Amino acid sequence: MTSLASGSRAAPTGRRRRSQLRRALPIYLFLLPGLGLYALWMLYPLASALFMSFFDWQLVRASPFVGFENYARAFADPLFWRALVNSAGYTVVTVAGQLVLGLGVALLLHERLPLRSFLRLIYYLPVITSWVVVSLIFVYLYNGQSGALNWLLVDVLGFLQRDVAWLAEPATALWAVAALGIWKGIGWTMVVFLAGLQGVPQELYEAAAIDGAGRWPRFRHITLPSIARTTGFLLVALTLGGLSVFVSIFVMTQGGPLNSSEVLLTYMYKQAFERLDLGYGAALAYIFAAVFFLIALVELWFVRRRLT
Amino acid sequence: MTTSRGRLAVLFVVAAMGALVSSLPFFYMLGIAFESHALVLKQPPTFLPEQPTINNFVRAVTTAGFGRAFLNSVIVSVPATALGVLLSSMLAFGFARFHFPGNRLLFYSLILTLTVPALVLIIPQFVLIRQLGLFNTHWALIFVYAVGGLAFNVFLLRGFFEDMPQELFEAAIVDGANVWQTFRFIALPLAKPAIATVTIFTFLGSWDEFTWALTALQNPDLYTLPVALRFFQRAFGTEWGLVFAASTIAVIPVVIVFLAFQRHFVSGLMLGGTKG
Amino acid sequence: MQSIGHPWLRWAALLSTLALVTAACTATPVTTPAPAPTGQPTAAATSTPVAPATGTPTAPTAAPTASEPTPEAISGTVTYWAAYDQVGPEFRTMSEVVIPAFQAQYPGVTVDLQGIPYDDLRQRLITGIAGGEVPDLLRADIIWVPEFAEQGALLALDQEMEDFDELAGQVFEGPLSTNFWEGQYYGLPLDTNTRVLFANRAVMEEAGLTEMPTTVEEFEAMMAAIAELGPERYGYAEGGTGAWNVLPWIWSFGGALTNDDYTTSSGFVNGEGTVAAVTKLKEWLDAGYLSPSILGGGSPTSEDIGGGRAGTVLEGPWMPPIFEAQFPELETELAPVPAGPGGSASVVGGEDIVVFAQTQNKEAALAFLRFLLSEEVQLEMGKVGQMPVLTSLSGHAELPDYFDTFSQQLETARARTPHPNWPLIDEALGNAVLEALRGDKPVQQALDDAAATIDGLLQP
Repeated sequence: MTSLASGSRAAPTGRRRRSQLRRALPIYLFLLPGLGLYALWMLYPLASALFMSFFDWQLVRASPFVGFENYARAFADPLFWRALVNSAGYTVVTVAGQLVLGLGVALLLHERLPLRSFLRLIYYLPVITSWVVVSLIFVYLYNGQSGALNWLLVDVLGFLQRDVAWLAEPATALWAVAALGIWKGIGWTMVVFLAGLQGVPQELYEAAAIDGAGRWPRFRHITLPSIARTTGFLLVALTLGGLSVFVSIFVMTQGGPLNSSEVLLTYMYKQAFERLDLGYGAALAYIFAAVFFLIALVELWFVRRRLT
Repeated sequence: MTTSRGRLAVLFVVAAMGALVSSLPFFYMLGIAFESHALVLKQPPTFLPEQPTINNFVRAVTTAGFGRAFLNSVIVSVPATALGVLLSSMLAFGFARFHFPGNRLLFYSLILTLTVPALVLIIPQFVLIRQLGLFNTHWALIFVYAVGGLAFNVFLLRGFFEDMPQELFEAAIVDGANVWQTFRFIALPLAKPAIATVTIFTFLGSWDEFTWALTALQNPDLYTLPVALRFFQRAFGTEWGLVFAASTIAVIPVVIVFLAFQRHFVSGLMLGGTKG
Repeated sequence: MQSIGHPWLRWAALLSTLALVTAACTATPVTTPAPAPTGQPTAAATSTPVAPATGTPTAPTAAPTASEPTPEAISGTVTYWAAYDQVGPEFRTMSEVVIPAFQAQYPGVTVDLQGIPYDDLRQRLITGIAGGEVPDLLRADIIWVPEFAEQGALLALDQEMEDFDELAGQVFEGPLSTNFWEGQYYGLPLDTNTRVLFANRAVMEEAGLTEMPTTVEEFEAMMAAIAELGPERYGYAEGGTGAWNVLPWIWSFGGALTNDDYTTSSGFVNGEGTVAAVTKLKEWLDAGYLSPSILGGGSPTSEDIGGGRAGTVLEGPWMPPIFEAQFPELETELAPVPAGPGGSASVVGGEDIVVFAQTQNKEAALAFLRFLLSEEVQLEMGKVGQMPVLTSLSGHAELPDYFDTFSQQLETARARTPHPNWPLIDEALGNAVLEALRGDKPVQQALDDAAATIDGLLQP
């Protein structure tokens, strides 16, 4: 519908701009329901949260204006940095794990295997199971006294001498939750990769086969470049997911022990709902949004520059 | 072609073993759900219940509130999904196919909000539903769920609509079709796979959401499944058989939705989602 | 199949319309009609008030005083939130006995009881206060009262109720004091509790023990005997390192969290007695007397004692009915916390009843509040593990026998620091004890660090 072409580069005169707007009126009306609801339910609350972040927000009494104090507090708060580092660690591990395993499974299930659809569904099951439910299952698997994981590692395989309380050890808690994150995300990553693999032109493989290229070179030089855009999309989407981790940590460790699994959102949530420090929570939220935005920009730049 | 067949056999074994490992936690859950007595923390863990029973499922279904919660989740998730999918495909279509002042500005400011975690908005959204008189109603959930996935859906769908051949739309313009008609009769039918994809995402998001539902609803008769499940778990303490039986039932609708739309799912992602 | 666009949309529209209509129908708050007063015999209504053991007549507190409107004149709905399990005995008695009895007396009033899990309750209260949607009445954990009072969310009952002094005179002083913040009373006590030592009798017999320990030394010998029984057998299981968990030991060893004015913790939380208590806990843990579940990540302690893995736990009066349901075979012995250099001291818990400042229905809420403090209701709730706060009911024949040990313990039990920052103080203590027990830091250093943190939190 390029019939509604945008105006030329030259600064439009008032009349031209008016007519331009008038011609675009139907499309504005068409977009209005979506944009209107979006403004009401997302932008307005976003603005309120920003407003709150400049106050020592009180639930009932008048809230004193504190300017940027909440933001300054965050940067001086060692637990904020701890949460940031933990979030980064969780994100790096889960993104890498999901990308590698998801791609592996996608390559397998891209082949014409028997029961392919059924296997896809099996791998996808964790994705569609509620976070609350899978977190509870894993709490049981990780139980420090008689959980299935300890039984496997100690009694069956003999890798460990004694039971480990996976969720109560500062050294293991965050990574135990990350393992759940990877397990739950493989199916989704797989499906997106499958979509990408379907777009790889078959002729390229045929040509490579004629040239006698082995499996690895074909994967390295045909498959990987062809799914670069998919990978880029996944990188950004999984990073968003990793940085937004909340329910699993909240159900499994509450950020403990000794803040070892505290991530940005659990810390923000605690500030708001356990400490009634809503202004500080809102400030943390905005810092978090800025952090993710920067990371997303860097990733997009990387994807554009290096992958495509 | 025996090598090829042999290779496929090996790959199948690998894929099947991976699937087995991946689904072990579910077997564990099912084993507990079918276990007749509550003391589930046994070592070694049993995946096959010693005295299998469907008692837990019967109890879960008949326990006050669970059936109601299941229905509530349907009442919330279906319109939230329909509304979310309709609005996001309209927006994506508009952004993809029209030049108008503010197109890029609006699109990118929409995408920008992807960086804001939903949890941040809980308190201001709560105040908003109070102002609108929607507190303690399913509307509060429907709107937030429909709008919550909007930016991501628009992002997915826009690339899809951009790739549609221009000739289709030019013909429609010649015939005098307006924006709605072009969207409704030309773009939408072609967008089936992409629509299926965002339908799955939106439905999943609505079906599983917990924190907002807990905050926006106070009447137990209105609770959705995740809230009810959590209350279930708290209320029944160590009766994990019951909790996991209820959880199993809660998973069934998403499996159905996934199976129903699965065929379009992959191609929808292929055409839309991977575009930068 | 190819052109599903139109029918699909039509379906979606139809479905959503249908669902929206249904949603709108269910969105109206469900108000259950008050049960008819006749033909609805309830335990509270039928149980004749028994004269208290002391023989002094007490005023029928359920009846409104002369200055209040008559029951018939009050109408409306009272929302009442409490951290009850929806299938627990407390919830059942409250919803099936107490509330019907009240509604029979006040035909115009409907009580809307909501049992909400403890952690969720707190979050919903906070969002509720922020959004202006709170219950009229709340059964509040005693440590929440200063925090919510500080937020300006609660009514000062000593100003709102003409009969406040009368009611306050009928309850134990300790629980009453938990309602006091900055010169005013923001609530009245509803129930009280503390922790005492529970032992699994079968485990005791297995270890050749016959007597419950009275001192820390005897307790140590008991734990040693049980730990001897085999690997993964522990003398004592504790669910965590927070104040609720470790304060009985800190106090029994002569330690403290802060000074008596709650202005400083230096010299107290890192003082001799507290250090001795935490050092002892670490010794017990390292010796295998104390179950590693105190560090987290294991099973609930109720499963430890119920399954015989641990010999003893510290628990509250709500536990016997729960044990009875979950572990029918379990027999327990009860005793006060073993006495150390500081005597036998436990920690006071319990709930207060508070009225939210935003209440639209103050008269009805206060009427129900008074009813909850009546002897009949206190007695009825006592039968399901909620210890009454009325002095007149102490030692009452209808209350469970096991309350005796708790009443005895309550004589020396102490309250946690009443302070709006209590959740943070609790966390600082819990983290310090955890670090000390794990061996991450020497005991003294961990507690020194905690003292620095807590001093900061105590500043106004």
